[in-house]
Amino acid sequence: MNATSPRAPVIHGDPGIGGLTARLSDLVLERPPGRGWLIAMVVALALAGLLAASIAWLLYRGVGIWGIDMPVVWAFAIANYVWWIAIGMGGTFISAALLLARQPWRNALNRYAEAMTVFAVAVSSLFPILHLGRPWFFYWLAPYPNRMALWPQWRSSLLWDFFAILAYLIASILYFYIGLIPDLATLRDRSRTRGKQVFFGLLALGWSGEARDWRRHETLSLLLAGLAVPLVFSVHSMVALDFSEALLPGWHSTIFPPFFVAGALFSGFAMVLVLAIPLRRLFGLTDLITARHLDNLGRMVLAAGLFVGYSYAVEIFTAFYGGDRYEIALAMNRLTGHFAWTFWIAIACNVVAIQALWFRAVRANPAALFAIGLTVLVGMWFERFMLIVTTLYRDFLPSSWGTFRPTFWDYATLAGSIGLFALLFLVFVRVLPVLPMFEMRKLVQHREARP
Amino acid sequence: MPSLSADQAEIMAALRTRVGNARGPRYWRALDELIDEPAFRRHLHDALPQVSQLAPALDRRAFLKLLGASLALAGLGACSGPPPERILPWIQQPEGVPDSLPQFYATTLCAGGNVAGVLVETHQGRPTKIEGNPAHPASLGGTDPLLQAAVLELWDPDRSQSPVHQGVASTWDAFATEAAALQRRFEPDGRGLHVLSGTIRSPTLARQRREFLARFPGAAWHQYEAVDEDNALAGAMLAFGRPLQMRLRLDQAAVIVSLGADFLYEMPGHLRHARDYADRRKRVLEGFTGRDPSSAPTPGRLYAIEATPSLTSANADHSWPLAESALPAFARELAAALGIADAAGGPASGMPERRVQAIAADLRANRGQSLLLAGPSLPAEVHALVHRLNAALGNVGRTLDYFEPAEPREASAASLQALTAAMSGGMVEALVILDGNPAYATPGELGFPELLAKVPLSVHLGLHRDETGVACHWHLPATHALESWSDLRAFDGSASLVQPVISPLYDGRSMHQLLDLLTGSGGAPPIDLVRVTWDGVLDEAGWQQSLRQGVIGGSAPHAVGATASAAPSVELSHETQGSDIELLFRPDPHIRDGHYANNGWLQELPKPLSHLTWSNAALVSPRLAAELALGNGDVIRIAANGRELEAPVWIMPGQAERSITLPMGYGRLVAGHVGEKLGFDANALRHAASPWRIEGARLTKTDRHVALASTQQHHRMEGRDPVHRMTLAAFLANPPAKTPERRSLYPPRLQKSGAEGYAWGMSIDLDACIGCNACTAACQAENNIPVVGAEEVRRGREMHWIRVDRYYEGRPEAPATWHQPVPCMHCEHAPCEVVCPVGATVHDSEGLNLQVYNRCVGTRFCSNNCPYKVRRFNFLQYADLDTPQLEAQRNPDVSVRNRGVMEKCTYCIQRIRVARIGADREGRRIEDGEIATACEAACPTRAITFGNVADPDSAVSREKASPRSYALLEELNTRPRTTYLAALRNPNPALEDES
Repeated sequence: MNATSPRAPVIHGDPGIGGLTARLSDLVLERPPGRGWLIAMVVALALAGLLAASIAWLLYRGVGIWGIDMPVVWAFAIANYVWWIAIGMGGTFISAALLLARQPWRNALNRYAEAMTVFAVAVSSLFPILHLGRPWFFYWLAPYPNRMALWPQWRSSLLWDFFAILAYLIASILYFYIGLIPDLATLRDRSRTRGKQVFFGLLALGWSGEARDWRRHETLSLLLAGLAVPLVFSVHSMVALDFSEALLPGWHSTIFPPFFVAGALFSGFAMVLVLAIPLRRLFGLTDLITARHLDNLGRMVLAAGLFVGYSYAVEIFTAFYGGDRYEIALAMNRLTGHFAWTFWIAIACNVVAIQALWFRAVRANPAALFAIGLTVLVGMWFERFMLIVTTLYRDFLPSSWGTFRPTFWDYATLAGSIGLFALLFLVFVRVLPVLPMFEMRKLVQHREARP
Repeated sequence: MPSLSADQAEIMAALRTRVGNARGPRYWRALDELIDEPAFRRHLHDALPQVSQLAPALDRRAFLKLLGASLALAGLGACSGPPPERILPWIQQPEGVPDSLPQFYATTLCAGGNVAGVLVETHQGRPTKIEGNPAHPASLGGTDPLLQAAVLELWDPDRSQSPVHQGVASTWDAFATEAAALQRRFEPDGRGLHVLSGTIRSPTLARQRREFLARFPGAAWHQYEAVDEDNALAGAMLAFGRPLQMRLRLDQAAVIVSLGADFLYEMPGHLRHARDYADRRKRVLEGFTGRDPSSAPTPGRLYAIEATPSLTSANADHSWPLAESALPAFARELAAALGIADAAGGPASGMPERRVQAIAADLRANRGQSLLLAGPSLPAEVHALVHRLNAALGNVGRTLDYFEPAEPREASAASLQALTAAMSGGMVEALVILDGNPAYATPGELGFPELLAKVPLSVHLGLHRDETGVACHWHLPATHALESWSDLRAFDGSASLVQPVISPLYDGRSMHQLLDLLTGSGGAPPIDLVRVTWDGVLDEAGWQQSLRQGVIGGSAPHAVGATASAAPSVELSHETQGSDIELLFRPDPHIRDGHYANNGWLQELPKPLSHLTWSNAALVSPRLAAELALGNGDVIRIAANGRELEAPVWIMPGQAERSITLPMGYGRLVAGHVGEKLGFDANALRHAASPWRIEGARLTKTDRHVALASTQQHHRMEGRDPVHRMTLAAFLANPPAKTPERRSLYPPRLQKSGAEGYAWGMSIDLDACIGCNACTAACQAENNIPVVGAEEVRRGREMHWIRVDRYYEGRPEAPATWHQPVPCMHCEHAPCEVVCPVGATVHDSEGLNLQVYNRCVGTRFCSNNCPYKVRRFNFLQYADLDTPQLEAQRNPDVSVRNRGVMEKCTYCIQRIRVARIGADREGRRIEDGEIATACEAACPTRAITFGNVADPDSAVSREKASPRSYALLEELNTRPRTTYLAALRNPNPALEDES
């Protein structure tokens, strides 16, 4: 049987229930940090330091340290925000939607994918705050009771976006944490030092492993999954409405919500792929995160990518079909204007490169998958940048057309955000089990029970 | 002024040592004792004269206060009120206004050679804003950017604050000793004593000059102005044998032919000219759309032929670029076509014959209501020819007349050359420079700075210790025009008084006081120096009346009959030498000859047409740029007459093909924090004998590139027609139909007007707008709009609330130019309001779209969603909160915005409030015309009308009812309250096949 076929086993070999638990918990409790991890940590720390410096300088001087200008008042910060929050989608979709769809192969992926979601959403939620002219007043978006009896302005999509991010962040943290509890209890029980016992013991919330615990856990997981799935769609639709609500050519479009959801799935799966490949290699998990997982992820990336490509086509088609002067000018400008290169990078990465995934051989090749995943991530960043900047730099009145030139601090903030994400993820793989032990045990048990 | 601060540091050090040595209770007595110690007093007197004079009368506490204030604020004048003499508020000021309301004073300012009457708005004694004086003939209520910037000039923190002798802080008393010695030394005949002033426009200065020369008959008085009127003067001498001045009546002129004469923006009297020109166009339209079209004046037509585009050619019905070397030939061809036979012959101008014939036919058909004008840079012969043509066309006495100037006029270049000749001959023993900067603003070939260094005694009076102030032995701080008594004559010869609206902020004196010091004792109160001039003309009542009115009634000279003689048939040569490229020198539109270099408002104000800020650039034609493969900002090396300079180029549509324009006023080395080391100094190539033009320049492209800061990147309308425009004929034959009210599925979100029945709106007449930027400058002054600097402008972050867009149409070689001022549209369905998450931009019941700075968190979504891009964001902390002088300049009725908030045009809501308070107090409604926004008030052509659109009889409603009225981007259904009136042009039907 081919290793990537849908009926291929999702676990290779026979680790046995006990062996599996020991192996996965030892990754956290026993394994010394490897060289690769240390090097990655140093790089991530440096980049995160750069982010801290960028933020400090930003708070001291103002958003003018970035390249934003009139008329391009949004650029990197918003592109970064949309990019990161979209990456977050992958985790939620894998763990929640596939849980509801009863796809047991997802079990090997969901833990780190959920961690990825939490970190990506956390990183992304920095940007809407930092991009404000007066970031220290971000809480004015919240409808809190105040002396001046001021409410936020309910018609603005930015306000709903604020709620959407907040809800999504809370839901994904909860979902992540609830899923961790049985494993935290396992770690608590297997820890040999007092410190670790206390640490994991506190986090495990007194999990005893009784049937009652398991039943409640199962119910809560399902409920949260049921909550998370619509949230995923709502948050990305809300992000899309940040643009659709404007009357600007290239933004004022009803296709945006589904388009953004597809784009989020696309980049989310790409990120899951990009993280899976080094992870299984470094931690020796190739028998748990198998070729079949990679194959499935490749298919998902391809499917989402095709939808994204379709969205591009529809956007350009409707611009010309609608006959609106400004939409046509914008479409032409995207294809041939000053920033056309960003459009063509997006096309090359998001439409052309993924066509390789039609081939089984490519999907079976981790290096190729890794490269394609990275390409898609780059492409999706450029797509967001293109979407924002090409619309803004040339809108209605030719007299106010301008351009955009990023500064050092734009790049530093982007690189720093990647650093922060990497830092969080590197800490995660050392502190928490990267694969859900209890769910993997289920898989093994399932297999043992079946034959 | 490092010397001054070094001195101050020394004083402080002395204080510290003495106080530091005192211990315990002695500490507090020490200061008193210190003050009384003679050695210390002398020291103090030299460095801080203000303090030392006051010290004996002061108790300890006041002394400390003063000392602290002087050292820390360096003479901040925020606390100085009106001057001690009786200055008189403007006549129409209501009685008994409370102190919190602004006071208006009428005075007169000379800005860029143009004298205009103004009203100065003061708040608690601080001048904050300039308005035009409607009673003054050179203003009629309009202003230009230079006049608007006068308040910033007054409050400029870099102004010179005390006399400097040989680089060391000194006092006026010390200079008085020097002046007395000078008087003794040059007694009786004054040989070797030279005075250099600008063009004398002040009757008092003319009187003082007479007295000075009577006292020192052997002395010499030179008048030099970098932007001179020598050619016009010489032309009048050629034509009439006397230096007559021309006075235009553009409201009478139907057909105007301008040969490089920018009467709408550059020439003295331009505010009046622009008003007259626009008013006549309005009357034509009103006549045609009124009941009786036969009452309409003949539709006018403006032909502009010039080498470098100006606002006049931008507004012309026909504008044709022509090298300045060919303009005399063109003038001759036109004269020949008009039947002045002796003008025929000579080389051809290259202008197509049919154009010449068409213009001539148009002029003949409009005898008595036509006008020919020659620009100041054209040779005297052309001016003389133009005088003859005007006479031949019967225009004299109708569209123009002549008058004898009251003050002596002198050819500026010749006067300067006489001075430099005397200086190089070692004949100049003492040179007194009255408020000029010849060390910078003179042609480089004269080597003025080197000559100045050789003069044994040089004295400079000026607002700034500039290049000349640094080079002279004595630098004396001048009072600003808003701090001085004086008088000035406007372009039409009418005189008005200059009254101080604030006591001098620093230790400055006026040039009248300085001359008094040089010829007499110097003790005369400044007001007397001016009153003496008007003794016998103005009695006490007349004086007061003139002060209140802002103009001296009946002071305009009578027209004189003059016949332009046909005699001087001078060879109008059209020679070329070396290359065929000519260099033209022009004053910068805002910095002029460099005088305004340290004025941030003017530096940042986009120059008309090029929209450049913070720098000059060599203007080249699109074809020459293509030939040399030049792009905007590429640096070229220009060599001519053995001198060379490097300059970035700017491709200027409408520039004559082989002409390069070098704007003056940049490359200042000692100007202040704002104005130094910007652009290039065109004086390096200027030639004393021909200051406006040199031929045979050679160009080489360098590989350097300069990022120029322009506020508009794109110059075509891209089929979007933001400026509606049509020919007059098409408009009359087929006036555009009003677009019907757009239907919406949604109920109207807003009421049409508030509870009191006001709905504010604005109409901007694009046919009247000449694109002069006065609105932008006025808005900046009124609304405390910060200056952001060149780097920020390059990033597109300029903060102007109203901008003047400029579009080109047609061939770049000779384009049609359109201007469009764009303030906030105050949309009824404002797209900015729905997207703000915190409700920081909201609508009020009277239709104002308001920005609540306190509430703004700076998402900038409102700016994204504004289709007109009129919102401005404080990307950084732009408002200068640290400089006390700038604090004093600000309008107290408008918040100063900090970083991170959005701002935009408010329709001058503070002025609406003032009017409402006034109306409420009197229990009446706000009258139409009672509120003038800053832009509306400043506009020289009254292109902007603001008012209550709910009142069908208001001026703004009448404007909006015009068939020319349209809304910008109407298709977006934002329902803007600001609307436009389409621009019209009236091209000659005989040239219909041309552009």
